[in-house]
Amino acid sequence: MNDEQLLRYSRHILLPEIGVEGQEALLASRVLVVGAGGLGSPACMYLAAAGVGTIVLCDDDDVDLTNLQRQILHSEATVGRPKVESGRESLLRLNPLVNVETVHARLEGDALDAQVRIADVVLDCCDNFATRHAINRACAHHRKPLVSGAAIRFDGQVSVFDLRRADSPCYHCLFPEGKDVEEVRCAVMGVFAPLTGIIGATQAAEALKLIVGCGVSLDGRLLLLDGLGMEWRSISLGRDPDCAVCGAD
Amino acid sequence: MQITFKLFASLSDYLPPDRKGNVLSLQVAEGTTVQQMIRDYRIPEMSAHLVLVNGVYIPPSARADRALTDGDELAIWPPIAGG
Repeated sequence: MNDEQLLRYSRHILLPEIGVEGQEALLASRVLVVGAGGLGSPACMYLAAAGVGTIVLCDDDDVDLTNLQRQILHSEATVGRPKVESGRESLLRLNPLVNVETVHARLEGDALDAQVRIADVVLDCCDNFATRHAINRACAHHRKPLVSGAAIRFDGQVSVFDLRRADSPCYHCLFPEGKDVEEVRCAVMGVFAPLTGIIGATQAAEALKLIVGCGVSLDGRLLLLDGLGMEWRSISLGRDPDCAVCGAD
Repeated sequence: MQITFKLFASLSDYLPPDRKGNVLSLQVAEGTTVQQMIRDYRIPEMSAHLVLVNGVYIPPSARADRALTDGDELAIWPPIAGG
Protein backbone atom coordinates (compact mmCIF):
# COMPACT_ATOMS: atom_id res chain seq x y z
CA MET A 1 0.00 0.00 0.00
CA ASN A 2 1.15 3.53 -0.74
CA ASP A 3 0.62 6.52 1.56
CA GLU A 4 -2.69 7.45 -0.02
CA GLN A 5 -4.02 3.93 0.46
CA LEU A 6 -2.76 3.77 4.05
CA LEU A 7 -4.64 7.00 4.76
CA ARG A 8 -7.80 6.05 2.84
CA TYR A 9 -8.11 2.69 4.56
CA SER A 10 -6.73 3.79 7.95
CA ARG A 11 -10.02 3.26 9.82
CA HIS A 12 -10.04 -0.37 8.74
CA ILE A 13 -6.33 -0.80 9.39
CA LEU A 14 -6.89 0.47 12.93
CA LEU A 15 -9.17 -2.49 13.62
CA PRO A 16 -7.02 -5.31 14.99
CA GLU A 17 -9.31 -7.84 13.27
CA ILE A 18 -8.39 -6.30 9.90
CA GLY A 19 -5.07 -4.45 10.16
CA VAL A 20 -2.63 -4.04 7.25
CA GLU A 21 -2.78 -7.73 6.45
CA GLY A 22 -6.56 -7.78 6.19
CA GLN A 23 -6.61 -4.64 4.09
CA GLU A 24 -4.01 -6.16 1.76
CA ALA A 25 -6.29 -9.19 1.41
CA LEU A 26 -9.18 -6.91 0.45
CA LEU A 27 -7.04 -5.07 -2.13
CA ALA A 28 -6.03 -8.40 -3.68
CA SER A 29 -9.55 -9.83 -3.74
CA ARG A 30 -12.04 -10.33 -6.55
CA VAL A 31 -15.76 -10.27 -5.71
CA LEU A 32 -18.55 -11.22 -8.10
CA VAL A 33 -21.81 -9.30 -7.55
CA VAL A 34 -24.79 -10.67 -9.48
CA GLY A 35 -27.46 -7.99 -9.70
CA ALA A 36 -26.97 -4.21 -9.60
CA GLY A 37 -30.36 -3.40 -8.09
CA GLY A 38 -31.67 -2.86 -4.56
CA LEU A 39 -29.27 -5.28 -2.85
CA GLY A 40 -26.36 -4.97 -5.28
CA SER A 41 -26.29 -1.17 -4.90
CA PRO A 42 -25.39 -0.88 -1.21
CA ALA A 43 -23.41 -4.12 -1.30
CA CYS A 44 -20.97 -3.04 -3.98
CA MET A 45 -20.77 0.55 -2.71
CA TYR A 46 -19.41 -0.77 0.59
CA LEU A 47 -17.13 -3.23 -1.20
CA ALA A 48 -15.72 -0.41 -3.34
CA ALA A 49 -15.33 2.02 -0.45
CA ALA A 50 -13.59 -0.68 1.59
CA GLY A 51 -11.07 -1.25 -1.20
CA VAL A 52 -11.98 -4.63 -2.68
CA GLY A 53 -9.47 -4.95 -5.54
CA THR A 54 -11.81 -6.06 -8.31
CA ILE A 55 -15.59 -5.93 -8.30
CA VAL A 56 -17.34 -7.74 -11.13
CA LEU A 57 -20.80 -6.24 -11.56
CA CYS A 58 -23.36 -8.22 -13.58
CA ASP A 59 -26.85 -7.17 -14.66
CA ASP A 60 -28.70 -7.26 -17.98
CA ASP A 61 -31.09 -4.47 -17.05
CA ASP A 62 -31.18 -0.72 -17.74
CA VAL A 63 -31.86 1.95 -15.13
CA ASP A 64 -35.53 2.85 -14.82
CA LEU A 65 -37.14 5.72 -12.90
CA THR A 66 -38.89 3.22 -10.58
CA ASN A 67 -35.47 1.85 -9.53
CA LEU A 68 -34.30 5.13 -8.01
CA GLN A 69 -36.45 4.87 -4.86
CA ARG A 70 -33.96 2.27 -3.50
CA GLN A 71 -31.18 1.48 -6.00
CA ILE A 72 -28.76 4.08 -4.71
CA LEU A 73 -26.04 3.14 -7.19
CA HIS A 74 -28.04 4.86 -9.92
CA SER A 75 -29.33 8.38 -10.47
CA GLU A 76 -31.71 10.35 -12.61
CA ALA A 77 -28.82 11.15 -14.94
CA THR A 78 -28.36 7.46 -15.80
CA VAL A 79 -32.00 6.50 -16.45
CA GLY A 80 -32.13 4.43 -19.63
CA ARG A 81 -28.48 3.37 -19.45
CA PRO A 82 -27.22 -0.12 -18.50
CA LYS A 83 -27.18 -0.56 -14.72
CA VAL A 84 -23.65 -1.96 -14.85
CA GLU A 85 -22.32 1.18 -16.57
CA SER A 86 -24.22 3.47 -14.22
CA GLY A 87 -22.95 1.37 -11.32
CA ARG A 88 -19.37 1.36 -12.50
CA GLU A 89 -19.33 5.16 -12.70
CA SER A 90 -20.77 5.50 -9.18
CA LEU A 91 -18.26 3.04 -7.72
CA LEU A 92 -15.31 4.77 -9.37
CA ARG A 93 -16.53 8.10 -8.00
CA LEU A 94 -16.52 6.53 -4.53
CA ASN A 95 -13.12 4.96 -4.96
CA PRO A 96 -11.09 5.37 -8.16
CA LEU A 97 -8.53 2.87 -6.86
CA VAL A 98 -10.82 -0.15 -7.36
CA ASN A 99 -11.14 -2.05 -10.59
CA VAL A 100 -14.75 -2.51 -11.71
CA GLU A 101 -15.46 -5.05 -14.44
CA THR A 102 -18.95 -5.20 -15.93
CA VAL A 103 -21.07 -7.89 -17.54
CA HIS A 104 -24.13 -6.43 -19.26
CA ALA A 105 -25.98 -9.72 -19.61
CA ARG A 106 -27.88 -12.23 -17.52
CA LEU A 107 -24.97 -14.25 -16.17
CA GLU A 108 -25.56 -17.94 -16.95
CA GLY A 109 -23.98 -21.06 -18.39
CA ASP A 110 -20.26 -21.00 -19.20
CA ALA A 111 -19.96 -17.26 -18.51
CA LEU A 112 -21.33 -17.73 -14.98
CA ASP A 113 -19.08 -20.72 -14.43
CA ALA A 114 -15.99 -18.81 -15.59
CA GLN A 115 -16.76 -15.82 -13.35
CA VAL A 116 -17.43 -17.92 -10.26
CA ARG A 117 -14.25 -19.94 -10.82
CA ILE A 118 -12.01 -16.85 -10.57
CA ALA A 119 -13.95 -15.06 -7.80
CA ASP A 120 -12.97 -15.14 -4.13
CA VAL A 121 -16.52 -14.48 -2.91
CA VAL A 122 -19.85 -14.40 -4.76
CA LEU A 123 -22.75 -12.11 -3.78
CA ASP A 124 -26.20 -13.13 -4.94
CA CYS A 125 -28.16 -9.90 -5.25
CA CYS A 126 -30.44 -11.05 -8.07
CA ASP A 127 -34.23 -11.10 -8.26
CA ASN A 128 -35.19 -14.61 -9.41
CA PHE A 129 -34.95 -18.22 -8.29
CA ALA A 130 -33.54 -19.58 -11.58
CA THR A 131 -30.45 -17.38 -11.33
CA ARG A 132 -30.14 -18.05 -7.59
CA HIS A 133 -30.01 -21.80 -8.22
CA ALA A 134 -27.56 -21.42 -11.12
CA ILE A 135 -25.22 -19.31 -8.95
CA ASN A 136 -25.47 -21.85 -6.14
CA ARG A 137 -24.61 -24.75 -8.45
CA ALA A 138 -21.54 -22.90 -9.77
CA CYS A 139 -20.43 -21.97 -6.23
CA ALA A 140 -20.87 -25.58 -5.05
CA HIS A 141 -18.92 -26.85 -8.06
CA HIS A 142 -16.01 -24.45 -7.56
CA ARG A 143 -16.27 -24.46 -3.75
CA LYS A 144 -16.70 -20.69 -3.44
CA PRO A 145 -18.37 -18.87 -0.55
CA LEU A 146 -21.80 -17.52 -1.50
CA VAL A 147 -23.40 -14.58 0.30
CA SER A 148 -27.10 -14.66 -0.46
CA GLY A 149 -29.66 -11.91 0.21
CA ALA A 150 -33.30 -11.41 -0.71
CA ALA A 151 -35.89 -8.74 0.06
CA ILE A 152 -39.54 -8.06 -0.70
CA ARG A 153 -42.14 -5.72 0.84
CA PHE A 154 -40.83 -5.16 4.43
CA ASP A 155 -39.10 -8.53 4.81
CA GLY A 156 -35.60 -9.74 4.11
CA GLN A 157 -33.38 -12.80 4.39
CA VAL A 158 -29.60 -13.11 4.37
CA SER A 159 -27.20 -16.01 4.77
CA VAL A 160 -23.76 -17.33 3.84
CA PHE A 161 -23.20 -20.69 2.21
CA ASP A 162 -19.49 -21.26 2.71
CA LEU A 163 -19.07 -23.96 0.11
CA ARG A 164 -15.32 -24.14 0.71
CA ARG A 165 -16.39 -26.32 3.63
CA ALA A 166 -17.68 -29.82 2.87
CA ASP A 167 -20.16 -29.75 5.78
CA SER A 168 -21.83 -26.45 4.90
CA PRO A 169 -25.38 -26.36 3.60
CA CYS A 170 -25.93 -24.84 0.15
CA TYR A 171 -28.79 -22.65 -1.10
CA HIS A 172 -30.50 -25.72 -2.53
CA CYS A 173 -30.51 -27.42 0.92
CA LEU A 174 -32.56 -24.46 2.15
CA PHE A 175 -34.70 -23.85 -0.94
CA PRO A 176 -35.00 -27.10 -2.93
CA GLU A 177 -35.42 -26.24 -6.61
CA GLY A 178 -38.88 -26.72 -8.05
CA LYS A 179 -40.45 -25.75 -4.73
CA ASP A 180 -40.06 -22.10 -5.61
CA VAL A 181 -43.76 -21.55 -5.75
CA GLU A 182 -43.99 -17.94 -6.62
CA GLU A 183 -41.71 -15.47 -8.26
CA VAL A 184 -42.81 -12.33 -6.49
CA ARG A 185 -41.14 -9.27 -7.89
CA CYS A 186 -40.67 -5.84 -6.37
CA ALA A 187 -42.53 -4.43 -9.39
CA VAL A 188 -45.68 -6.23 -8.23
CA MET A 189 -45.27 -6.50 -4.47
CA GLY A 190 -43.36 -3.33 -3.65
CA VAL A 191 -40.29 -3.12 -1.44
CA PHE A 192 -39.36 -0.79 1.42
CA ALA A 193 -36.33 1.23 0.29
CA PRO A 194 -34.01 0.92 3.32
CA LEU A 195 -34.79 -2.80 3.66
CA THR A 196 -32.68 -3.46 0.57
CA GLY A 197 -29.98 -1.26 2.11
CA ILE A 198 -29.94 -3.23 5.36
CA ILE A 199 -29.79 -6.60 3.63
CA GLY A 200 -27.32 -5.47 0.94
CA ALA A 201 -25.01 -3.88 3.53
CA THR A 202 -25.15 -7.09 5.58
CA GLN A 203 -24.06 -8.99 2.46
CA ALA A 204 -21.11 -6.61 2.05
CA ALA A 205 -20.16 -7.08 5.71
CA GLU A 206 -20.18 -10.86 5.36
CA ALA A 207 -18.14 -10.70 2.13
CA LEU A 208 -15.48 -8.48 3.72
CA LYS A 209 -15.27 -10.75 6.79
CA LEU A 210 -14.86 -13.83 4.59
CA ILE A 211 -12.02 -12.18 2.65
CA VAL A 212 -10.23 -10.88 5.74
CA GLY A 213 -10.95 -14.07 7.67
CA CYS A 214 -12.27 -12.35 10.78
CA GLY A 215 -15.25 -13.00 13.02
CA VAL A 216 -17.91 -15.64 12.55
CA SER A 217 -19.80 -15.74 9.27
CA LEU A 218 -23.49 -16.45 8.72
CA ASP A 219 -22.54 -19.88 7.40
CA GLY A 220 -25.14 -22.35 8.72
CA ARG A 221 -27.50 -19.59 9.82
CA LEU A 222 -30.29 -17.73 8.07
CA LEU A 223 -31.21 -14.27 9.32
CA LEU A 224 -34.81 -13.21 8.84
CA LEU A 225 -35.58 -9.50 9.07
CA ASP A 226 -39.11 -8.39 9.90
CA GLY A 227 -38.85 -4.78 8.76
CA LEU A 228 -42.25 -3.73 10.12
CA GLY A 229 -41.53 -4.98 13.62
CA MET A 230 -37.77 -4.32 13.10
CA GLU A 231 -36.88 -7.70 14.54
CA TRP A 232 -34.20 -10.13 13.44
CA ARG A 233 -34.58 -13.88 13.82
CA SER A 234 -31.73 -16.31 13.36
CA ILE A 235 -32.40 -19.92 12.45
CA SER A 236 -29.87 -22.72 12.15
CA LEU A 237 -29.45 -24.40 8.79
CA GLY A 238 -28.26 -27.94 8.34
CA ARG A 239 -26.82 -29.58 5.26
CA ASP A 240 -29.26 -31.89 3.45
CA PRO A 241 -27.33 -35.14 2.92
CA ASP A 242 -29.60 -35.93 -0.04
CA CYS A 243 -29.24 -32.48 -1.62
CA ALA A 244 -29.17 -32.75 -5.42
CA VAL A 245 -26.50 -30.04 -5.61
CA CYS A 246 -24.03 -30.33 -2.72
CA GLY A 247 -24.90 -33.92 -1.81
CA ALA A 248 -23.81 -35.13 -5.23
CA ASP A 249 -20.45 -33.36 -5.24
CA MET B 1 -56.23 -19.04 24.17
CA GLN B 2 -54.48 -16.07 22.57
CA ILE B 3 -51.74 -16.37 19.92
CA THR B 4 -49.90 -13.96 17.64
CA PHE B 5 -49.90 -14.86 13.96
CA LYS B 6 -47.41 -13.24 11.58
CA LEU B 7 -47.28 -13.79 7.84
CA PHE B 8 -44.33 -12.41 5.91
CA ALA B 9 -43.65 -11.10 2.39
CA SER B 10 -46.31 -12.27 -0.09
CA LEU B 11 -48.09 -14.36 2.56
CA SER B 12 -49.47 -11.30 4.31
CA ASP B 13 -52.16 -11.34 1.59
CA TYR B 14 -53.65 -14.35 3.41
CA LEU B 15 -54.43 -12.29 6.50
CA PRO B 16 -57.88 -10.66 6.71
CA PRO B 17 -58.01 -7.15 5.19
CA ASP B 18 -58.81 -5.46 8.53
CA ARG B 19 -55.54 -6.52 10.20
CA LYS B 20 -52.86 -4.08 11.27
CA GLY B 21 -49.63 -4.63 9.30
CA ASN B 22 -48.68 -8.29 8.94
CA VAL B 23 -49.62 -9.28 12.48
CA LEU B 24 -52.83 -10.74 13.84
CA SER B 25 -53.73 -11.34 17.48
CA LEU B 26 -56.05 -14.32 17.56
CA GLN B 27 -58.22 -16.39 19.85
CA VAL B 28 -57.85 -20.04 18.86
CA ALA B 29 -59.14 -23.27 20.36
CA GLU B 30 -56.96 -25.16 22.83
CA GLY B 31 -54.86 -27.74 21.02
CA THR B 32 -54.84 -25.95 17.65
CA THR B 33 -51.80 -27.19 15.71
CA VAL B 34 -49.44 -25.37 13.38
CA GLN B 35 -50.77 -27.43 10.48
CA GLN B 36 -54.36 -26.44 11.29
CA MET B 37 -53.44 -22.76 11.19
CA ILE B 38 -51.77 -23.20 7.79
CA ARG B 39 -54.86 -25.01 6.50
CA ASP B 40 -57.42 -22.65 8.06
CA TYR B 41 -55.76 -19.62 6.50
CA ARG B 42 -55.51 -21.43 3.13
CA ILE B 43 -51.78 -20.89 2.89
CA PRO B 44 -50.41 -23.00 0.03
CA GLU B 45 -48.35 -25.83 1.51
CA MET B 46 -45.31 -24.98 -0.63
CA SER B 47 -45.43 -21.31 0.37
CA ALA B 48 -45.25 -22.20 4.07
CA HIS B 49 -41.51 -22.59 3.73
CA LEU B 50 -40.12 -21.38 7.04
CA VAL B 51 -42.52 -21.95 9.94
CA LEU B 52 -41.40 -20.65 13.32
CA VAL B 53 -43.04 -20.84 16.75
CA ASN B 54 -41.51 -18.26 19.08
CA GLY B 55 -38.59 -18.03 16.67
CA VAL B 56 -37.89 -21.77 16.61
CA TYR B 57 -38.10 -23.51 13.22
CA ILE B 58 -40.75 -26.24 12.95
CA PRO B 59 -39.91 -28.72 10.16
CA PRO B 60 -42.77 -29.92 7.90
CA SER B 61 -42.82 -33.34 9.55
CA ALA B 62 -43.56 -31.81 12.98
CA ARG B 63 -46.27 -29.32 12.00
CA ALA B 64 -49.26 -31.64 12.33
CA ASP B 65 -48.33 -32.57 15.92
CA ARG B 66 -47.10 -29.21 17.14
CA ALA B 67 -49.93 -27.78 19.28
CA LEU B 68 -49.84 -24.08 20.01
CA THR B 69 -50.08 -22.82 23.57
CA ASP B 70 -51.33 -19.55 25.03
CA GLY B 71 -49.04 -16.64 24.14
CA ASP B 72 -47.27 -18.42 21.27
CA GLU B 73 -46.12 -16.47 18.23
CA LEU B 74 -46.54 -18.35 14.96
CA ALA B 75 -44.59 -16.84 12.03
CA ILE B 76 -44.58 -18.13 8.45
CA TRP B 77 -42.21 -17.10 5.65
CA PRO B 78 -42.49 -17.99 1.97
CA PRO B 79 -39.36 -18.43 -0.18
CA ILE B 80 -38.33 -14.96 -1.36
CA ALA B 81 -36.09 -14.04 -4.28
CA GLY B 82 -36.43 -10.26 -4.67
CA GLY B 83 -33.34 -8.18 -4.99
